Amino acid sequence: MQKVVIAGSGPAGLTAGIYSARAGLAPIIFEGPAPGGQLTVSAEVENYPGFPEALSGMELMERIHKQAEKFGARFNSAMVEQVVKDGDVFKVKAGDKTTEAQALIIATGAQARRLPIPSEKKFYGKGVSGCATCDGFFYKDKKVIVVGGGNAAMEDAVFLTKFASKVTIVHRRDYLRADAVEVEKAKKNSKIEWLIPWVVKEILGNDLVTGVKLKNAESGKTFELECEGVFVAIGHEPKTDVFKDVVQTDEKGFIIVQPGSTRTSTDGVFACGDVCDHKYKQAVVAAGQGCMAAMDVDRYLGIKE
Amino acid sequence: MSKVVEVTDQTFEEEVLKSDVPTEVDFWAPWCGPCKMVSPIYDRLSAEYENFKFCKVNVDSNTEMARKYNVVSIPMQMFFANGEKVDELLGAVPEQVIISKVQEVIQRFPTDERGRLKVILSSWIEHNKQDDENFTRWENKAQELKEDAVYDSLLKAAREMRKANERLSQLLGEL
Repeated sequence: MQKVVIAGSGPAGLTAGIYSARAGLAPIIFEGPAPGGQLTVSAEVENYPGFPEALSGMELMERIHKQAEKFGARFNSAMVEQVVKDGDVFKVKAGDKTTEAQALIIATGAQARRLPIPSEKKFYGKGVSGCATCDGFFYKDKKVIVVGGGNAAMEDAVFLTKFASKVTIVHRRDYLRADAVEVEKAKKNSKIEWLIPWVVKEILGNDLVTGVKLKNAESGKTFELECEGVFVAIGHEPKTDVFKDVVQTDEKGFIIVQPGSTRTSTDGVFACGDVCDHKYKQAVVAAGQGCMAAMDVDRYLGIKE
Repeated sequence: MSKVVEVTDQTFEEEVLKSDVPTEVDFWAPWCGPCKMVSPIYDRLSAEYENFKFCKVNVDSNTEMARKYNVVSIPMQMFFANGEKVDELLGAVPEQVIISKVQEVIQRFPTDERGRLKVILSSWIEHNKQDDENFTRWENKAQELKEDAVYDSLLKAAREMRKANERLSQLLGEL
């Protein structure tokens, strides 16, 4: 029987790992399909305290990983697929085995939302991309679109102007969710054009993308726009599917935690990071909540004994 | 120790297309975060597998092969056998997914004579199995015409064939 199992390996999961390892709880961290989490696709992290010279998201996550390992956290690359509560014990199925634990920390974060059209799936990796920093390079002197109206969309659009001949931001509403600073940067860039409020109805192409079919959200008018790259930046959704039978989630799928705590609706289950945070979504906040979760678990196990 | 071979546009043909064994090519770039998640996995696997080759192409300095194989998203892993692309894996996928894909490709494209024979034999048996339903239909008809010596002999011969096929499957399992 394990004391605590942690699902997820982003800033929240790994910080929970550091604190619970130091508390002598010998945590097992199930890393899941994206070790290091969302931050690993960030080219530069400039706002994480303690790193004034900025570093890549990957490097930051490698450092936190090392730190957790140093204090005795154990890592398993499998993803948690099922959790069954049996009295006071949690049976956590990951990969081909089941681990029993007294407490569970859910830190599975969020994943990029995809466009809800079949052709998006068909062309994913063939012109449709969720990672501008990875794939922008392939669009030198080509036309691309960025779908979305948040900070990520603005940042992606500006980044892509380094390569593309033209970047068109396509957004379904007539207002932008992004911060004024980010919108300003995009508006000032002469390579960026705007299509607002337009919706991507279909992605066109043969082996690779050649264009998109757009529909005006107000008039219903449609037209085809030539482009070779479609960068999707329409936000993230919490990865809570496998936990829905164990803890309460809100209508958007975020795990509900008690204010000022990481306790969920179920005793012995704690949540931290983007999986329960629809407001801040910052690495440093996730790390802070990871610390809270480890301390909450320590207290919970202490009271039980 | 990693045995991953660094391949360039110039050495791609020699190292990948003319390789005697099935090959995996990891298209990556130094500025791609998720690429850094998969490359240690390939380093590890390359030390474990004998009749399989692991290569990587830095697309930042080798754009020709990336263009030829329509690589527009990385990390992209492509699998090659007998000079042709046979499969691909997109993105930073978990180690287990990579392992099963490598094993699948090894099974499909064996490098030893025995392995090749096995592939030929199993596709033949598979083919015969597909005909099973037809045989049953035919068998029922032939039963009705049993009085006719020709149909009786045919029926017997066909049943022997079916039996031989079952024996073949069994032997193949023991190979």
